[in-house]
Amino acid sequence: MSSGKRVDRIIEQGFFLAALWSVLVAVLIFLFMLVLGLPLLRSGQIFSALTRPWLPQAGLFGVYPMIVGTLAIVFLSLYWAFPLSLGVAALVSVIHPRGFGRFLKKIVLLMTAIPTVVYGFVGVFLLVPLVQKIFSPQGGMSIFTASLMLALLICPTMILIFTDSFESVPRSYHEAVDALGGSPVQKLCYVLLPCARQGLVAGLVLGMARAMGDTLIALMLAGNAVAVPGSFFASARTLTAHIALVTAADFDSMEFRTIFVCGLLLYVFTSALIVCTRHWGGEKGARF
Amino acid sequence: MPKYMEKLIIAGAWLSGLLLMAAVGAILTFLLVQGAQALRWELIFGTTPILEALTLQREVFQGLFPAIVGTLLLVLLAVALALPVGLAAGIYLAEYSRGRWKGLFSLFCDILAGIPSILVGLFGFSLAIMLHKYLAAAIYPCLLISALSLSFLVLPYFIRTTQVALENVTPEIRRTALALGASKLQNIVHILIPQALPGITSGAILGIGRCAEDTAVIMLTGVVAMAGIPHSLLAKYEALPFFIYYISSQYSDRQELEMGYGASILLLAVCLSLFLLALLVKRRFAGPLLYRL
Amino acid sequence: MKKCFLRLQVALPLCLLALFAFAPLARSGGLDAFRNDKGEINVSGGTAHIPVMKEAAKRIMTANREVRVTIAGGGSGVGIKQVGEGLVDIGNSGRAPTEQEIRQYSLHVFQWAIDGVGVVVNKGNPVKSLKKEELKKIFSGEINNWKTLGGQDRPINIYNRDEASGTREVFWEKGLEKGNISLKANVVVSNGAMKSAVANDLYAIGYVSVGHIDESIAPVALEGVLPTIGNVKSGAHKISRGLYSNTKGKPQGLTGKFIDYLFTGEGQKIVTDHGFIAVK
Repeated sequence: MSSGKRVDRIIEQGFFLAALWSVLVAVLIFLFMLVLGLPLLRSGQIFSALTRPWLPQAGLFGVYPMIVGTLAIVFLSLYWAFPLSLGVAALVSVIHPRGFGRFLKKIVLLMTAIPTVVYGFVGVFLLVPLVQKIFSPQGGMSIFTASLMLALLICPTMILIFTDSFESVPRSYHEAVDALGGSPVQKLCYVLLPCARQGLVAGLVLGMARAMGDTLIALMLAGNAVAVPGSFFASARTLTAHIALVTAADFDSMEFRTIFVCGLLLYVFTSALIVCTRHWGGEKGARF
Repeated sequence: MPKYMEKLIIAGAWLSGLLLMAAVGAILTFLLVQGAQALRWELIFGTTPILEALTLQREVFQGLFPAIVGTLLLVLLAVALALPVGLAAGIYLAEYSRGRWKGLFSLFCDILAGIPSILVGLFGFSLAIMLHKYLAAAIYPCLLISALSLSFLVLPYFIRTTQVALENVTPEIRRTALALGASKLQNIVHILIPQALPGITSGAILGIGRCAEDTAVIMLTGVVAMAGIPHSLLAKYEALPFFIYYISSQYSDRQELEMGYGASILLLAVCLSLFLLALLVKRRFAGPLLYRL
Repeated sequence: MKKCFLRLQVALPLCLLALFAFAPLARSGGLDAFRNDKGEINVSGGTAHIPVMKEAAKRIMTANREVRVTIAGGGSGVGIKQVGEGLVDIGNSGRAPTEQEIRQYSLHVFQWAIDGVGVVVNKGNPVKSLKKEELKKIFSGEINNWKTLGGQDRPINIYNRDEASGTREVFWEKGLEKGNISLKANVVVSNGAMKSAVANDLYAIGYVSVGHIDESIAPVALEGVLPTIGNVKSGAHKISRGLYSNTKGKPQGLTGKFIDYLFTGEGQKIVTDHGFIAVK
């Protein structure tokens, strides 16, 4: 009996170590970014790294243009995705919950399975020429194009969180509105939206985190220019695409060190967003 | 609220729904239309006879076979590394941890899940370079490093689904074995895990899908444009998503572009099937098991 | 005595003749060198080299199943860096490694082809000839509309290569005479990517390895000279460069055989088949 108990104890310790491993990995990644970017941070160049342009030949290794690029693409894609997701969530949960709504929800679920690289691939061959023809001859590979595809990528996540929030509003509220003779739209605007407010914010923030962390769509569709973008139809580079482009190139130079600064920035921002999501969405809020 | 506003909102919602469907439909139709003629055996095996390619007697050069095998090996390895750890950690979170510790572990799990995949790739790359410099010169970005990095990426998925699946087991079932004198561990191993198995399996399948489609991590940790079938864990390899990315920017002729479309359809089909399988497992097996008791 | 001497006088030249007659055969049977080998060769670096590398790898791997060649891109900078750090066996570059790089990594440099870098535009672009000053102004952003050059009234979309690119280095030095390249230029990561980008954008201008130019894009004549491989050979097209394979230290074993293969008749034929100029 006691040896059995000892084996039990060892196995339980194993479970604990496994949980510790996930913490360890998250912390280790942060430490790597910090330590490897340290020479840059220590030489006091952190400020210039964040505010100067990227001109390796001139010795300037700032990632400011990439920060602007990331913010621009994230903002624009949320601008498309938020109303769209809200509309679809309303349709699915409230306006037509049976029939078309259920069908649409299944489609949205399936959308989560579409690989990012396929979005990028279709973007290059379908969206880029289309944008060039319809909107701006210069804007084929631009923030605009990338944001459209990115919006499509993050919509399913946001829609699912929104519908979850709507559905978690207590049944009694739904019935109260129905008893008072309210229409679905009235239910949506006066009851569901205010009640599900936290969930909506959680969905928005999670969408932001996903948009910020995506690499392929920005790499394939946004043009990757190193200048600070002047308009939404300009070519731009995000922090993630910059990491992908430079890592392939060199490792050891000051150039490469700035990649870890980029990494730190991304880590800190996305983690902050995740913490916010948990705060507003509860445990369930932080879905992938 | 004025009637016209209501109508406007309903119209807006319908517009959103239709727009979304149109977008997805456009993507799928475009792929199928452009890639339909690429869907032949030559897409996968090139000019090599199928049997000889499958038995590894001859290398396949103008086909997707090496990329498919590379992806398969990568996914198997990554899941083999991540699943046991994820399972154990999920059990710990669901059954053993309480209060502040649980909150802390949960937080870090979420943070790990939220880390952009390119950062995980960067971490794997830096790790490989460090090991190369200080441990063994034979180590460089390769299949093993990629699989390791992918396992970091997909670990939170496994932890989360295990945890949620276990927590969803009804209290009655949970308490029955304990009431009969079983130890906590026996309860977990013999009762709770089997009950939670549909959820865990479906989560595992989703994790497999995530590994199969990832490009950012493998781009930095060992995937290359041409490598054939990898002969060892420390070898470079090809992968399907990287092939799609690579072809999209540098196809040299119509045939290569068609291969790109074909590869996209293939990858899409694989990911969608895995997803549907996960859904099926969750629904079909959860039902009967719950009703049995 | 006399008979023996006579026999020697005949036999020796005959032997020497035989040796020289069969020598080229021994050289051109480059694939035979790999016959009993086993192992892996990792190649990375210049993207212009990739088609030739792929073909050579295919032939070697078909001839001997135990030998594996893996090929990655990344650009000249990556090739030199990775071979220097021991991450790959052969690092390709489209520019000659600098003195510092050769010293730091003990590089052995092998040039197996001559190539050039040419300016390209979309096939639908009426502008097909440029002066050097115009080229510099286009890439620096001073001239930003095609109508200034006789084309349509549309902005010029510049496509540039990444920092690791040898093609970019050569173009910047010899084509732009170290002039500025606008920061607003789109960045693509390989010769193949440059080709696709220019072929898909009506208002694009870019530069690409001469060996890669085909019917999908239109070459632009610089000071009246079209970037064809003939013009590179004759020296009329000034923006020329070599294709190099670098190894750390003297190439050993399989790596050495691969490099030798590139210089054999068969290897050099692959070079010319892909649009470059052979060195032998």
